[in-house]
Amino acid sequence: MMRLNPFRRLRAFRGLEYLLAILMTGIFTLIFLPFRSESGQDHTILSLLYLLPVVLSSLLWGLGPGALTAVVSFLALNYFYVPPYYTLLVHSTQDLVVLIVFLGVSITIGQLVGKVSKSLAESQAREHEAIHLYELIMHLAGLQDEQEILSALAEQTLIAFRAGRVDVLVEAQENVPAHHVSLEDRWQSSQLLGDNPNFLTPLQSARGFLGEIKVWRVPPTLTPAEERLLNTFASQGVLALERVRLSQAASRARLLEDSDRFKSSLLSSVSHELRTPLATIKAAVTSLRSKTVEWDTDARVDLLAAVEEETDHLNQLVGNLLNMSRIEAGALKPQRSWNSLAEIVSSAIERMRQQTEKHHLEVEVSDDLPLVPVDYFQIEQVFINLISNSTKYSPVGTTIAIHALSVDSNMLQVTVRNQGPHVPPEHLDRIFDKFYRVTAADRITGAGLGLSICKGIVEAHGGRIWAENLKDGFVFNFTLPLSMEGFSLKVTQEMVDK
Amino acid sequence: MSAQPLILVIDDEVQILRALRTILTAKQFRVSVASRGEEGLTLAAARPPDLIILDLSLPDMDGVEVCARLREWTQVPIIILSVRESERDKVIALDKGADDYLTKPFGIEELLARIRVALRHSAQTLGSQKTQIITAGSVVIDLALHIVTRDGEEIKLTATEFKLLAYLAANAGRVLTNRSILSHVWDPADSDRVEYLRVYIRQLRKKLEQDPDHPRIIRNEPGIGYRFMLDE
Repeated sequence: MMRLNPFRRLRAFRGLEYLLAILMTGIFTLIFLPFRSESGQDHTILSLLYLLPVVLSSLLWGLGPGALTAVVSFLALNYFYVPPYYTLLVHSTQDLVVLIVFLGVSITIGQLVGKVSKSLAESQAREHEAIHLYELIMHLAGLQDEQEILSALAEQTLIAFRAGRVDVLVEAQENVPAHHVSLEDRWQSSQLLGDNPNFLTPLQSARGFLGEIKVWRVPPTLTPAEERLLNTFASQGVLALERVRLSQAASRARLLEDSDRFKSSLLSSVSHELRTPLATIKAAVTSLRSKTVEWDTDARVDLLAAVEEETDHLNQLVGNLLNMSRIEAGALKPQRSWNSLAEIVSSAIERMRQQTEKHHLEVEVSDDLPLVPVDYFQIEQVFINLISNSTKYSPVGTTIAIHALSVDSNMLQVTVRNQGPHVPPEHLDRIFDKFYRVTAADRITGAGLGLSICKGIVEAHGGRIWAENLKDGFVFNFTLPLSMEGFSLKVTQEMVDK
Repeated sequence: MSAQPLILVIDDEVQILRALRTILTAKQFRVSVASRGEEGLTLAAARPPDLIILDLSLPDMDGVEVCARLREWTQVPIIILSVRESERDKVIALDKGADDYLTKPFGIEELLARIRVALRHSAQTLGSQKTQIITAGSVVIDLALHIVTRDGEEIKLTATEFKLLAYLAANAGRVLTNRSILSHVWDPADSDRVEYLRVYIRQLRKKLEQDPDHPRIIRNEPGIGYRFMLDE
């Protein structure tokens, strides 16, 4: 905050300063007058004393008033103290010399003092300018939001220019909405400020007009230094805005690139994945329609079963793709309601009946577990994907065990255990990545999406999913919170039986 | 009602229309088809069908709206077809008066079973001769006398439990949304309190089902509600 110097403030009114300079000389003259001796020999000392108003007025009001004081002092000295008194006549040569020397010295001293004080004032102004600029840059640094930048810019402008009101506007552009910040100094009455701003500086970037800074202030003029500062503020604001816009554009580009890469790996993975069941279906159906072969009943049943299985498989794959695209788009919003985990598990198992035929399923999910606030279909999908993964990787005839227990009053933990091979410890996290496969892709069917979907769904529910190697197999764990929007469920008999 | 029930299929997918027409005709139904919502509404008025199979995604209007417009003047059974990803539309359509639903892709046996239940239910409603005694497996429910037995032994149910069971059983074979069960058995103001329903269904299953973890009588309709299964 700039400290106010009352004297410097008066500088604005030039005429007043000269008047004050004359007045001060008069006051000093009045003070010195009683000390005038009749002998008339003391004016050499007085001429020294008269340097005082000259120095003071140079110091306070600058060069012009200083010089005027020197001249007025010279006249007063002559008029009041140099005999004959009350005339401007000088009799002795000595007095004339004293007076001329006094004029010369006082003007010189006045000019020196005035210059020093002027350059001091200038350096102080520069220092203030530097401080305000520094403050602005510090406040702008690191801001990543346009609205925040405008607020910081408006605030710093308000402080630096002691303005009554500052508005900063940014126009809407492609990808960027319009912003507007208006700040008022609550110590200054807004009634004094007009409707139109006193100064206006455009926020001009190399690529065009971004917006403007509007300043309302009393007094409604700017010194050249202030004008320079305001322009610097504007250009700093533009730099900050451009920095944000560039980094946003860069992250948009990166996102697009990522999503492009995702789409192309998805396409390649999916087209392969879709063809496999389609090939089976096509083969089975064309065989059945073929007029050259007579199929016996068993063969027909087999072929038709294959067709049905593969259509289920395709349907599941399409469901996973949809889920994946929702996760990618950030649109996977669980529609939560209170559900029984036992119901979800049994419906998942129902849907997986054919795929799990060759494994032994062991389910321990008690119907007495607390209800969980989850999206039924999404959590069912998690079970389906984990079971499907287990059937693919664990040997035929082994057991897949599904257990659920409440860890504490806020959390349910589910484990899906199989007797499949170990995953190298360093890959345990990565199996939940998209398209990630531990084994060679050709051996195992699937688009490599199942586990990453599980992760997406479980995390959208506020849970956690992880995998572990066991002594005799492999286990997926996931947790589900038991509270929804901060509320947990306690249904008592009285509540329901009303 | 003529000997061969008339089924109106409203779906914009030509392949589905072709398949359903072939299959349903083979099963001794008469079939009319429409590929747009407006067309379906006109056809339903011009030649009132005994049952409507309605796809929820139609090119000209929302299937839910077709369902609501039909319900303004007819109680003909409506079976909804939809993809698995539009659960909420399905629930809305059921709340708006549709009788049942099937998720694409579906097995034809399932569709035929749903058609049978819907036709039987509408016949009962028309004849207004409500069945008073309902049998499901070893469980017998006497709606008039408020008695439930399992293997001949009476099962004690609380008032709410009986009310719930009676509502489910009276609509045997049809899907009932959570919302409709809650507002019928409890109170319309409680229609969002799914947790009440979950608790009571759990209790009922413990009393009625042979294996409460694999229920055969009160079946889940994931994300939608429940269905009381009769012996087929």
